[in-house]
Amino acid sequence: MKHFLLRVLATLLFLAVPVLGVWTFVKADDWGLWFPPIASSYGASIDFLFYVILWMVTVTFIGTEMLLVWFVFRYSKKDATRATYTHGNHTLEMVWTAIPALLLIFVAFSQMKAWTTVKINFPTDGPYTVEKPLMEVYASQFDWRVRYPDPQGDFAGADVIEVPYDITVPANTKVVFRLKSRDVLHSFFVPVFRLKQDAVPGMEIPMWFEATTPGDYDLICAELCGWGHYKMAGKIHVLPRDEFERWLADQRASLYATD
Amino acid sequence: MILRRHPSAALLAAAALSSTLACKYEPSTPELHYSLNAKALADNPDLAADGGAQTQLLGALQTMFGTPKNPRFLALPEWLADGFDPNFWGEDHVKADQAAWAALVESNRKAFGQQLSAIRAGGFEAVDRPRFADDLWERWQRLRAELPAGGPDAEYLTTDDGQKVSWREEALYRFENYYPSLANSAAFYHNQCFHCHGAEGGGDGSTSRFLEPRPRDYRPGKFKFTALKGKARPRHEDVFRILTDGVYTTAMPSFRRFTDAQLHGLVDYVRLLSIRGETEILLASFYDPAEGLHFDNLRENYTDVVGRWREAPERLITYAGPIPEVTAERVEHGRALFTTPGEKGGANCVSCHGTSGRGDGPSVWEPGKVGIEFTKDDWGNPIQPRDFTRGVFRFGRRPIDLYRRIYAGINGTPMPEHFGMTITESARQRAMTEDDVWDLVFFVRALASQSPLLARAGGAPAAEGAR
Repeated sequence: MKHFLLRVLATLLFLAVPVLGVWTFVKADDWGLWFPPIASSYGASIDFLFYVILWMVTVTFIGTEMLLVWFVFRYSKKDATRATYTHGNHTLEMVWTAIPALLLIFVAFSQMKAWTTVKINFPTDGPYTVEKPLMEVYASQFDWRVRYPDPQGDFAGADVIEVPYDITVPANTKVVFRLKSRDVLHSFFVPVFRLKQDAVPGMEIPMWFEATTPGDYDLICAELCGWGHYKMAGKIHVLPRDEFERWLADQRASLYATD
Repeated sequence: MILRRHPSAALLAAAALSSTLACKYEPSTPELHYSLNAKALADNPDLAADGGAQTQLLGALQTMFGTPKNPRFLALPEWLADGFDPNFWGEDHVKADQAAWAALVESNRKAFGQQLSAIRAGGFEAVDRPRFADDLWERWQRLRAELPAGGPDAEYLTTDDGQKVSWREEALYRFENYYPSLANSAAFYHNQCFHCHGAEGGGDGSTSRFLEPRPRDYRPGKFKFTALKGKARPRHEDVFRILTDGVYTTAMPSFRRFTDAQLHGLVDYVRLLSIRGETEILLASFYDPAEGLHFDNLRENYTDVVGRWREAPERLITYAGPIPEVTAERVEHGRALFTTPGEKGGANCVSCHGTSGRGDGPSVWEPGKVGIEFTKDDWGNPIQPRDFTRGVFRFGRRPIDLYRRIYAGINGTPMPEHFGMTITESARQRAMTEDDVWDLVFFVRALASQSPLLARAGGAPAAEGAR
């Protein structure tokens, strides 16, 4: 009797892992631990990929955990029969090799569109292109700085506008920009855009996004870059197109202020 | 018994116990205190040898400036009679500037949005404790205890100009118009600035040794980046700008993620540290082993140092009227001034910034040859003249910023004041004018965008061995 109780207890203990695990995922949104809202045009496709993999993992996780729980209960009998020797099951092995392989192939192909959209096929139809980007974002220990080119589009010009911390961009416009680093590896991460890219010293990395909702969003460094990494923050200010133009004109005018 | 039979059980118990203890362990932070300036002590070996005099000096400084936990200025009666209280220096200054105060209120509204909407809705329990604003939290707690019996909208007080203010209005006002106390700003400083700038602002915090250039030592009262002439102490606005914009290509980042009120408060505390440091250096230098410390001139020194900070706004370099238009002639004239050495009557920029504008002039690679040693600044840290071809300017790239740099030089470095400097042009000696300074600005700005400008215009290429 005592042994049976121990078996049940062990089984319940193992059962708690999948139950609690799945429960935290179900409740995460209520606890404010889930994703922030999406504010970029391609954010949904990134989330879709995440959910595809999450569901695959969930099904596999629950399946294997249930099997484990069943085995814990079934084979912990004290008077268990003698173990038998087996040479394996060829069909079973084929199946458990083929299914993950198919899943991996599915994952590999399903992400190609999103990857090319975000990282390879840069917009050519908007006001900003890889050759004529809106801005340059410089990462350095430990702040972000954005540079807007002079009215001729020259980043080396005397009338470049340089702003620390605050990055202002127009909404509903395909914003192409360059990412650079002055010293070490940093990573440009805007959670609401679902956009993350390492900044590598010596490289000019083109990036783009189209912000869909005006607002102020967090920019953080997602690569441990030194002792001040924790304080390396920035803000993305998404303004409606006309407001952005006004803001830029104000900046150009204030360059020649004498205060 | 059980332990002797099962030694592994003892191990397990010890492991369990130590992990519990580790969870309970909280590193204790010793209370901060101001120490004496080691450099000032080294300059006066008699004082360095006299522990009693050092204690006296520390005590005098504590009377004037308080402790890191409770810093405050000793307000002299004549100042108070004048309407000047150094403990509310920043607050009074910012309040007098309408635009700055409006920006502060705006940023407070954003930062305390949760608290303001909770007070408006009447959910006083739901008001969250704001970060880094203990003084505001205390004031709020006291205000809550004084909630009138007639409810939050009952009359609470009458202002000096006779306006009746309800309790709720007063609560909203306190959050919107929050300006931190010196003690609160000191706590904020210890959280954000201390690890580089140190408890006394000596630029000797624990992370400072990893930095190049080194953090500023406030104690001599010298600040490199101001908009002022005559090596003046910085204005409130100058230090505030350093905090919001940072100093590019150094470890000083932009602190825009904090509210305006917090940054203004930091300016106040940096000012206190600097005034404290300068007073200390003066007092230490007066120590005489035969007579002890000269405290009779303490008041005089203190008034002098504070006075230097008070008069800073008068030293602002202003330029009336719009910035002149850039023409090819003006850039060419700037080039001539820049490239002509001092002995030939030019502005002598090449001796440090080099014929290529890369900060590689002869004073850098042959120190002493041209009479200027551009290797160390007044704090004893190695420095380099600015490389203009990189287009990086530490205190702003606007024409007016560069104008002020060239006009007044950079305090604490070999970069001299240029306005009024004697130059020779067309065999005639004259003092440099505002227009000459502008021509240099236009040339330097052009240099940042077109590095071959110097070579094309006849300047020699970078000297060999310069790099």
